[in-house]
Amino acid sequence: MGPFLVGVDIGGTFTDCVVLDADGSITATKSSSTPHNFAQGMLAAMGVAAERLHLSFDEFCKQISVLTHGTTAGTNALIQRKGAKVGLLMTRGHEDAIHIMRGSRGVTSRDMAKVVHFPESGKPVPIVPKRLIRGVSERVDCFGDVVVELNEAEATQAIDELLAEGVEAIGICFLWSFKRPEHEARVAALARERAPHLFVSCSHEIAPKWGEYERTTATALNAYIGPIMARYLANLDRELKASGYRNPLQITQCGGGSVSVAKAMESPLLTLDSGPVSGVTGSVYLGRLMDTPNIITTDMGGTSFDVGIIERHQPTYSFISNVAQYEYFLPKVDIQAIGAGGGSLARVDPVARTLRVGPDSAGADPGPVCYGKGAQTPTVTDADVVLGYINPENFLGGRIVLDRAAAVASVQRVADQLGLSLEETASGIAKIAEFRMADIIRKMTVEKGFDPRDFVLHAFGGAGPAHASIFGAELGVKRVIIPQKEIASTWCAFGAASADILHVHEQVDIQASPFDAKRLNKTLTELQKRANRELDHDKIDRSRRQFQFSLDMRHRGQINEVEVMLPEGRLTAALFEPLRQRFYERYEQLYGRGSSYRDARIEIVTLRLRATAPTPRPKLARAARMSARILAAAKRPSRPVYWDSLKASVATDIYDGAQLKPGNTLAGPVIVETTDTTVVVHPGRRLRVDEFGNFEITFGEAA
Amino acid sequence: MSARPLKAAARQAQSKNTSPGRAKASTQAGAQPKATTRASAALQSPAVTLTRRPRVSEMDPALFDGRAMGYVPPDTLTISPTLRLQRASVADIDPITYEVVRHALWHVNEEHGATIQRISGSPVAMYALDLNPSILTEDGEFVYFGPYMQYMSGVTDTQVKWILENRSGNPGIRDGDMFLANDPWVGAAHQQDVMLICPVFWEGELFCWVTNCLHQYDIGGITPSSFCGSAESAFEEGICIPPVKIVENNEIRRDIEELYLRASRKPQAVALDFRAQLAGNITARDRVLALVSRYGPQVVKGVMRRILDHSEQAFLDKLRRLPDGVWRERTYVECCRPGDRRTHQVMLTLRKKGTELIFENDGTADQEGAMNATYSGWRGSIMVALNQLLCWDQYFAIGGALRHVRFDPTPGTFNCANYPASVSTAPVQAMEISLYPTYNVLSKMLFGDPQMREDIMCIGGTSQWPATLFRGIDQWGERYGYLLVDPIGGAIGAFATGDGINTGGQSRTPICKLPNVEHTEQTFPLLFLYRKEVVDSGGAGRWRGGMSAESCFIPHGTDTITHDTLSSGNATPTAPGIMGGYPGSVNVYQFRTGTDVHEQFAQQRIPAAISDVAGREVTLQLRQENFAQTKSDVYSVIWSAAAGFGDPFERDPERVLADVLDNRAVSIEAARSIYGVVISEGRLDAKATARVRRVARAKRCQSPESVQKLTGKQISQVTDTLAVRRSGGKAHYCCVKCATDLGPVRENYKLACVREDRDITHANPNIGDWRRYIDDEPVFRQFFCPGCGSLIENEIARAGDPVLHDIELHLR
Repeated sequence: MGPFLVGVDIGGTFTDCVVLDADGSITATKSSSTPHNFAQGMLAAMGVAAERLHLSFDEFCKQISVLTHGTTAGTNALIQRKGAKVGLLMTRGHEDAIHIMRGSRGVTSRDMAKVVHFPESGKPVPIVPKRLIRGVSERVDCFGDVVVELNEAEATQAIDELLAEGVEAIGICFLWSFKRPEHEARVAALARERAPHLFVSCSHEIAPKWGEYERTTATALNAYIGPIMARYLANLDRELKASGYRNPLQITQCGGGSVSVAKAMESPLLTLDSGPVSGVTGSVYLGRLMDTPNIITTDMGGTSFDVGIIERHQPTYSFISNVAQYEYFLPKVDIQAIGAGGGSLARVDPVARTLRVGPDSAGADPGPVCYGKGAQTPTVTDADVVLGYINPENFLGGRIVLDRAAAVASVQRVADQLGLSLEETASGIAKIAEFRMADIIRKMTVEKGFDPRDFVLHAFGGAGPAHASIFGAELGVKRVIIPQKEIASTWCAFGAASADILHVHEQVDIQASPFDAKRLNKTLTELQKRANRELDHDKIDRSRRQFQFSLDMRHRGQINEVEVMLPEGRLTAALFEPLRQRFYERYEQLYGRGSSYRDARIEIVTLRLRATAPTPRPKLARAARMSARILAAAKRPSRPVYWDSLKASVATDIYDGAQLKPGNTLAGPVIVETTDTTVVVHPGRRLRVDEFGNFEITFGEAA
Repeated sequence: MSARPLKAAARQAQSKNTSPGRAKASTQAGAQPKATTRASAALQSPAVTLTRRPRVSEMDPALFDGRAMGYVPPDTLTISPTLRLQRASVADIDPITYEVVRHALWHVNEEHGATIQRISGSPVAMYALDLNPSILTEDGEFVYFGPYMQYMSGVTDTQVKWILENRSGNPGIRDGDMFLANDPWVGAAHQQDVMLICPVFWEGELFCWVTNCLHQYDIGGITPSSFCGSAESAFEEGICIPPVKIVENNEIRRDIEELYLRASRKPQAVALDFRAQLAGNITARDRVLALVSRYGPQVVKGVMRRILDHSEQAFLDKLRRLPDGVWRERTYVECCRPGDRRTHQVMLTLRKKGTELIFENDGTADQEGAMNATYSGWRGSIMVALNQLLCWDQYFAIGGALRHVRFDPTPGTFNCANYPASVSTAPVQAMEISLYPTYNVLSKMLFGDPQMREDIMCIGGTSQWPATLFRGIDQWGERYGYLLVDPIGGAIGAFATGDGINTGGQSRTPICKLPNVEHTEQTFPLLFLYRKEVVDSGGAGRWRGGMSAESCFIPHGTDTITHDTLSSGNATPTAPGIMGGYPGSVNVYQFRTGTDVHEQFAQQRIPAAISDVAGREVTLQLRQENFAQTKSDVYSVIWSAAAGFGDPFERDPERVLADVLDNRAVSIEAARSIYGVVISEGRLDAKATARVRRVARAKRCQSPESVQKLTGKQISQVTDTLAVRRSGGKAHYCCVKCATDLGPVRENYKLACVREDRDITHANPNIGDWRRYIDDEPVFRQFFCPGCGSLIENEIARAGDPVLHDIELHLR
């Protein structure tokens, strides 16, 4: 029993809650999400958990030591365009930066194959119209020197005009403000003077990085979701406090840890897209426990397939993110997504008469054909039903009874168009989706200098465990882990519960070698000061603080930057040569042997500090003993399942995952059902329940 | 030129072709081989006399060997028997395997491009994305090309075919070889676009090709950056390399590499880019071979063939839905060499006959000065638009469509120039002007089909590139030279279904990204006063063209910057609209010297427009070299914007209002003068708007007696403003709104319209005085329906040029 670590993850359809107690026991619950007031669904999921633990809600709340919450409220506001009315203040002459979008249409996140079809690849609807953008005379140059002093009269007038327009938030982004933030800070003060309750966001605070478009976007997005997130979080905080929860509420952030609710209200941008990141956080934790430093994480849900990479226990990062076609600066655990989920649509190309799967999805409504909500086009989930992977009577623990006949009919229609059998078509749909998933993973590993054979693969999300053993084998990973058999589908909530407090601070200071150690150290010290201020705020004891410094470096004259770790924390002349070597090593790992260019000078662009404070760790219980004996209660009635490798439908053993014990081993073909997901073990593969209660799938030679 | 009988010309041509002295051929068009008896079917009769210079199809194919004239691959390639080609393929592949392999091949190409970008890391590769990878079959048909610089793949298949024909015997094409090439007469946009071409072998047989192309900073020539704006021939430009084996048996040949690098002012950058290209090819080759070893060569080849066959089928299906006919566009290039004040006509003709498309350039000016492109450049340009409007649903698999497209230009014209014309600036002029009008002719053809209508697109921004080439010592004390890449911010033309995309990039580089101002200011000694979208730049229309932008800077951290300009389309718009749409803005250079900009800075004021600084206005010519910009001199460049679609009077006044207030895309004056929309005190005056529009139309009507209305059934809609109806058993054009007869479909409907010739400044508010740059007066011609006064079409022409016959339907 308590104290409890609680993670709550709010998704589009379900709100998941995971409770870890002091002994390492896990309670996972689900409740429907409540988009009109997400707090309701969250409290409901926690309520179910309290019930399972035989506690009153108040008693449960009192025993929570840390409650970490992952929210999509910001992302949703953005996607549904329900954010605040934002005014932007820019350096005069550069008001259009966010509209010009660097002359791109934000296509990096879109289907490349269609990128030349311009009628359907326009720019996004602007989150700030030109009418609400004002220029202010002020100018700093690339050295950080003031070229034009801030014209306060212009600034004041601009603020007044925006207030008269009824803006609810103001973003401020001046050129080179990351070199000299005074002008932005002064204008923010002017804005706060004139409208004390206005949400004000400054670019040098939210994203002190080099490049005004991505910095402006970060600032504008932060302002856009700021008021909504502030309301949402304040409301949640109040309700929790009313329920007796006394400790700070932590919010997961896209950098892979959590921040206090106060910080999240000030920089809500940190929460954008943080949901899938929690899954990676959970895998980092599990990887340490299981001593598997290199992990490919895969989360296959209804609409998308999200992939993250963990190398030597560290998630890989990206420093430019993308949301609704807008690119913005933010250090974020790198997650790449493709439209391949249970809901991905299978269609016959009218000209080529071939089968295409995804990237468009049936979404939550109407969902797959088998949901019986009137959809006609089969999805991957429908194929899974036809193949016999999914038991129509026991989907999501029986919460939804699936219409197998409708799924069969829809797949049959596709089969008829292709001249294939029903089963061939269904397994083809699955296979195409699986190979697309393998391709995106290959892209994230091989193209970044990682060999998938050095990795284990974690498969979570509702639809993942049904397909992971195929794409895992395709990539040649060592083995597939379906973490914590009962909570694979609530893995992100588990990840939230295991998240550390994390603050990432960045400062750009572009300098070519030979470096000025004094100048760099001054910046590093400043970063540490900023971090300490945040951690003081979080009331984190000095002894618990950990600092990890790094530098983004590149060849002078080139664009590609790589992050080089600086465990020494400060620079000395003696470190220059080792630093140079670290840079080459890292560069060549990412870009290939011989790709570095040793005659060129190297350049430091960004200095970074990740400041963490470990939260109380969940302790996953290790099984006291391993047992080969499979309980009779674990066996469920067998059913026919079509196996592509056998080209036949055969009566296949079905097991109840909840009843399998550590040490139990099953040989494929076999299917294991848990409350929320289905593990498909193909012929020749082997499934074992490990000592932590994870399902582990191994392939031919390893078995 | 004088007409001459084909036979005689052919004899002369052949004797020239065999003469070893042909490399000395003058760049002057008149001195070239002319025609041959191997003519197209239409010209079989030996007695035919041409009043124009012959097209490719009318000449001896042997002439097009990639030496004196651009290489035109024959239908059957002559390949040494020592090279064994893997041709066998499985026809019957199950749809699942097909899709898995197809997707993998697409990924191979994507990974290929990503590898080049990662390793090169140069701003050219990362921002301008001036690169492209391709996969081709063993005999040089496209399977896939990439989403980067679209020109480049159009020149790739000719390279591969030339290598097969000219290198398979000596020095041979073997496993582990790669060829370096940039000869524009074999296949390259210009010398800076260097290709690395890799044959992929499986068990001793040539299975396929993987290739890439990457723009190099400098490969020699009289001008740093190798854009040689004053060159008179290729001998003054960068090194020109016909395909040469630079990698042999998987080893770089150092002798060849050094020969290549020796020409460059930036050998280290070129060397690094070469490594990137090499790594790209190796990655792609390994990935293809992994597929082959898994699925077998015949299955993978079968998938390649099917990709081509499917794209061919899809293309044919589309062509069958469209009427036959001829579509034409006319544009002009300005300034072919420093000091030139003439305009040079560019004609593009598209013929559709059944399921064949034929592109011609008859009427295009002769090759001259430094404005030229080669056959492959012209062809590659057209392929860009062809792919985007007709093959976009085939994901860059254009090879199948190409089986039904004939490129039949006239050698000796400036966009099909013969050796040794200067072609180093081709991509910013001759190729842009070959590409962009293709959008208009294809759009007019596609409009006939209600579904394909949704795919059309008007000419986009930067249809001629206003180059800003500058050099000096930077703020860090180092020597630099640069081409300002801002104009890739372009603009996208209007659609039949909506407005174009403001600063949506150049359509020929669909995923490009221009550097941030802070990026440019860090690297070069500049301070940008502004970079902003330009009001009224987008061509007016029922759907407006995308706005372009303006970049304006002063030197910063240096005392002086040395500049060259290189531009065209500064007097005459090069993005004409269609179906009543107006042209996008011209390119604009502005330069003010000795200004008060620093005084304004001291008073805490940043000028928002170059007109806000006081100084001496200097007109920059379009190929002006070596002028200095010192501390108080303000330089600005507007790149040309995108064209509009349909009659602006048909635009919803609410949209015009939003363009004025929210989007800052249209000025209040243009709203009234071009759109006929009256806005007062921030509100739409609907009544006044209706009145302005009504009065303007009424002025253009002819007396009702002189107009004939057609009563027959409408057969088709030809443009947004023009329909076809039957009249006495014959098909006639008519106004879509009032059915006024505009003549038989074989004739030019414009001749039946009320024509108004206006000063060119009426075409777009950003057009200035043409006399600063050219001697020929450009005019804006408008053609109105005599029945209702509605705008039917516009055209841009030199005052003396005939009315363009832009649509000629051949209805069956």
